[in-house]
Amino acid sequence: MRFSRVLACGVALAAALSLTACGGNGSSAGGGDKIHVLVYGDATNKVEKAIVDKFNKTSEVKVVLDTIPGADYQQKLQTIINTPQAPDIFFNWGGGSIVPFVKADLLLPLDDFIAKDAKLKDAFLPSVFDSAVVDGKAYGVPMRGTQPVMLFHNKKVLADAGVQPPKTWDELLAAVKTLKAKGITPIALGGGDQWPTLMWFEYLYDRIAGPELFNKALSGDKNAWAGEDSKKALSMLRELVDAGAFGTNYDSVKFTDQGSPTLLARGKAAFELMGSWEYSTIQDFDKPFAEKNLGYTAFPTVPGGKGDPANLVGNTNNFYSVLKKTKHPEAAAEFLKLMYSDDFVKQQLAIGNLPTTTNTEQYLDTSANPAYSRYQYDLVKKAPSFQLSWDQAYPQSASTAMHQAVQQFFNGRLDADGFIKAMQALPTE
Amino acid sequence: MTTQMTRASAPRTVTGKTSRPVRGTAADVGRPGFAWAVPATLFFALFAIAPLVMVAVLSFMNWNGLAEPEFVGLDNWKRVFDDPVMIQSIWLTLLLTFLGVALQTPLSILLGVWAAGKQRNRAVLSAIYFVPLLLSSTAVSVLWRALLDPNFGVPAQATWLFGDGNLFGAQSTAIGVLAFVSTWQFTPLHTLIYQGAARAIPEVLYQAAEIDGAGRFRQFFHITLPQLRNSIITSMILMVVGGLTTFETVLILTQGGPGTDTTISAYYMYQKAFKSFDFGAGAAIALVLVVAATIISLIVVRLSGYDKMRGTMEGMS
Repeated sequence: MRFSRVLACGVALAAALSLTACGGNGSSAGGGDKIHVLVYGDATNKVEKAIVDKFNKTSEVKVVLDTIPGADYQQKLQTIINTPQAPDIFFNWGGGSIVPFVKADLLLPLDDFIAKDAKLKDAFLPSVFDSAVVDGKAYGVPMRGTQPVMLFHNKKVLADAGVQPPKTWDELLAAVKTLKAKGITPIALGGGDQWPTLMWFEYLYDRIAGPELFNKALSGDKNAWAGEDSKKALSMLRELVDAGAFGTNYDSVKFTDQGSPTLLARGKAAFELMGSWEYSTIQDFDKPFAEKNLGYTAFPTVPGGKGDPANLVGNTNNFYSVLKKTKHPEAAAEFLKLMYSDDFVKQQLAIGNLPTTTNTEQYLDTSANPAYSRYQYDLVKKAPSFQLSWDQAYPQSASTAMHQAVQQFFNGRLDADGFIKAMQALPTE
Repeated sequence: MTTQMTRASAPRTVTGKTSRPVRGTAADVGRPGFAWAVPATLFFALFAIAPLVMVAVLSFMNWNGLAEPEFVGLDNWKRVFDDPVMIQSIWLTLLLTFLGVALQTPLSILLGVWAAGKQRNRAVLSAIYFVPLLLSSTAVSVLWRALLDPNFGVPAQATWLFGDGNLFGAQSTAIGVLAFVSTWQFTPLHTLIYQGAARAIPEVLYQAAEIDGAGRFRQFFHITLPQLRNSIITSMILMVVGGLTTFETVLILTQGGPGTDTTISAYYMYQKAFKSFDFGAGAAIALVLVVAATIISLIVVRLSGYDKMRGTMEGMS
């Protein structure tokens, strides 16, 4: 056994991984007629199960679906991916979540698959498909729904305050002032989770500088963070925070325990910037509000900014990537083809996910919430750029420091220069 | 791994020195064969010594869990000791440990001595005080996170005390919450230790004191406290080691935040290894923790005279 194996086993044990013990027969090494597909464990698994069942009916090589539940998916994945327990195909977020695997030469470029079946690329919206392209090669096929970030609002609170959903940054600032005067927290923010705070940076940087600034920084040009546009974005964020837009206790509020969406639904706050899952989250605990009073708009425009006002940020989609050492690349290719099938699209829509295939449009009316699905689909389809969330575009090793920096900028522990330094210190590969 | 090590190392030193034969001599009792120790030794070697050695080796390597690990000499160690967050994390760990001891010791002595009495409501109330100990740290942390929500928890109902309720948004209050939750959770364990010890104090001491005219307070300070001396040390070592290896509470309540304001060493180790996939630096921090916890435990044992295990029954019999 190589030392790395021993270490990996030790680490896997330490992570309390509930998979089989070390040294056993690996999925891809053993049997010969099975491939393992590893996905994030949540409510969408029922669609994945149905797709796997469908595939197994006709295929010689059977697919086994494994799930890792909970938020620590990425940690657990990284501890097994270079061991015999590694899956053949696995769920990921594209971008930085797979870059380390590509660099370690673990993943199979899908270009050969695409050469044989062009639909594996052309059947998906390009702005989404590109998230899993690394160094010019495709490494992932979209396999769930897209989740753009939008500005949600409580229609009743806005109407009572006589405020229109803001179209520009100045209108947002004016709305903040009006709402604050009425004793309502203008914007709900789950600062305790840190990533909701990051969304404000992502949009403002994109509106002011366009997607180029971030992409430059991501490719290793650390000076990108120090430019005028970066400073302008930071000063506008500072202005928003100082205006009391988020109240004072946002760092004690979380999205993940429903703290911030409850503020919105109960009318204690007027806005929340959140991914499209906001709708289903609120639907879970306050269905009437989600259906009647939950409004949504694109992020306000910033006059004079270089970014296209139609640009989006968020989770472009989730992806299936294939490991290089899989024994059955042909079967893997066949399995991936199901990700643009009509059946797949209908089933995803039925549970409220919005697939990013070109044939999605014709089935939008079968969605759980057609108006909401259509609105998002149009946003994504028309977006010249769909920026993957920063913490997923950067390598995972950068996410803790990035989250700390945004939190510390909001609470005043870091000034603009301190924030710029913190971002420049992030590892880019 | 570190928890097992440090927990194991303190009592070992202690028992090693106290195993003087009490009854008869070694000759007529007979030493048990080495074979008896084999299962425990193997277990300890496999699950404590071996991982510790691996961690030590790993601390000189660069490894992200994917590529082959490579030796980088002292790089990780230099980075760890140059890292302001690491230095801060050591101070935070010591502060939280100190707060834990300072808050829990008086509380649990008072509760324990009270629970050792013969009051009618004692059994019922003791059972209630005992409940937090039955919950896992994770459950306790989730519970308090929800209770302390600024908009829908206790702070929203008591704004005169909590202000805007931003408990997790500032360093001082976040540390306060961590210390409070640990105290709430672990005081029952120490209460139990003191209850047992207080029950074992001979009744005659109190009877004699009463005849001499000592009131309840004098009895407490001159009989109960001195008699509890060994228990105080036992419970303090448990608190110190527990405090140095606190992890779940921070993971769930604050995630080391705001910023890095509550990033204690054990949590920083987890962040480095499992969030940043810098297993080398994580291993170095783990070793620092092991060494620090061992040294502090030894110091407590030495300073307190616990290693001599002086009896509290002198002059009795």
